[in-house]
Amino acid sequence: MNIAIILGSLALGAYIIAIVESWATYGRLRLAGPALAALALLGRESVLARKPDRLFFETAPVLLLVAGLLAVAVIPLAPDLIITDLSSGALFLNAALAYVLVALIMAGWGANGAYGMIGGWRFLGQFIAYAMLIVMPITAVAMRAESLMTTQIVISQVELWNIFYQPIGFVLFVIAAMGLAYLPPLDLPLAPGDLAGGVEAEYTGVRLGVLRLARMIIILSLAGATVTFYLGGWLGPWLPPWAWSAIKILVVTVAMLMAGHYMPRIREARYLALSWKLGISLALANIFLVGVIALVVPI
Amino acid sequence: MNAEMIFLTFFGGAAVWFGIVVFRTHSMVRSALALLFSQTAIGAMFLVMQAEFLGVLQIMMMATEMSVMAIFMVMFMMDPGGLGAMDMTHQKRLSLWAGGVGLVAALGLTLGVDWGPAALSVPSASAQIEMLGIELLGRSMFIFESAGLTILTAMVAATMVAIAPQDKGGAK
Repeated sequence: MNIAIILGSLALGAYIIAIVESWATYGRLRLAGPALAALALLGRESVLARKPDRLFFETAPVLLLVAGLLAVAVIPLAPDLIITDLSSGALFLNAALAYVLVALIMAGWGANGAYGMIGGWRFLGQFIAYAMLIVMPITAVAMRAESLMTTQIVISQVELWNIFYQPIGFVLFVIAAMGLAYLPPLDLPLAPGDLAGGVEAEYTGVRLGVLRLARMIIILSLAGATVTFYLGGWLGPWLPPWAWSAIKILVVTVAMLMAGHYMPRIREARYLALSWKLGISLALANIFLVGVIALVVPI
Repeated sequence: MNAEMIFLTFFGGAAVWFGIVVFRTHSMVRSALALLFSQTAIGAMFLVMQAEFLGVLQIMMMATEMSVMAIFMVMFMMDPGGLGAMDMTHQKRLSLWAGGVGLVAALGLTLGVDWGPAALSVPSASAQIEMLGIELLGRSMFIFESAGLTILTAMVAATMVAIAPQDKGGAK
């Protein structure tokens, strides 16, 4: 039952953010837009490139979708509305999303096209920039909750949300999450404008539809993770828990989508330098601070 | 034969099969990713054996490690796409001997050692994580820290060796 509810809300969420994304991009609110676009993709011929690595080309969109869905499995929408409450949930989220990298490399390599291949390997560079900044803020979150269970992490924030308890971690995590979901300004693997779609360049029809849907689900899962780790998950007054989760996840998603439209795309070398020289130092400081606070102030 | 054994056999078989694919393919990228899926299958075996944390950790670490390995192979090999039907094996006689001796040793250990009675119950997943943490920050801390430092040193040294020497200007 939980699985059906969560998959249903995921589909609805993906539809809503597709509307918001096109609104943010083109400035027009079209409620039927995503449905029409999906129909158009389904109807279009799914062209194969010449001499593709067929195995990679076909597996990549499905792997991307599976990675996103697995990540969603450990995100609680309410105390008992979660697919599986693993003891190592916060780590499992990372494990699932690590396969986004594998899927994009496979998609880029398999299509036998220069733009796709550059996009795929670029994402590997981007991964090296964001990877530690996903894991290290989560370490501090788990330190406060004394657990890797996502439900425990939410419960640990009853007194004070983590966004106020560890604001440095929050900022680092959101930026890294945008890198993981390859959202602008960190959309190096797609890079419309200089890579002509990058990883998605050689995909058409149904396969492109699956790639796009998978990306929506990855964005939602990361917004869900941000809400779970930093914004108190389902906690909130008056409304039922699931409503709070839904509102917070939508707000975070919209904020992530809008942020990119006010910033130029960051070059990968600069992103790497910033992440390692500034980001990791800050993440270590965050872990230290949270450790000290957790020992001194019992909240 | 219960469900656990069926899944364990399935993932074990998958791990061995992908291990074979590593050497059967001509493409460097396929080879690296086959190794990745072989290791992922081992992670799944950990999960079947109710070692949740180890399984998840294995599945997570291998995805990134093998992807990084793939790009290094693409950068340094002469035929990364395998279009020239490159052979993945070399030093065949030595490899065969090494593999054979390894197999005999592994089988001898598996069959010859007295493993004691099988565990009837497994501690809960959260208890396992706590026990692992105490082990890693206690008795095994020195071993893990020194291993980590050794690997870091090796990585820095390998990168230094790989960088082509640059003319700092004015030498000629």
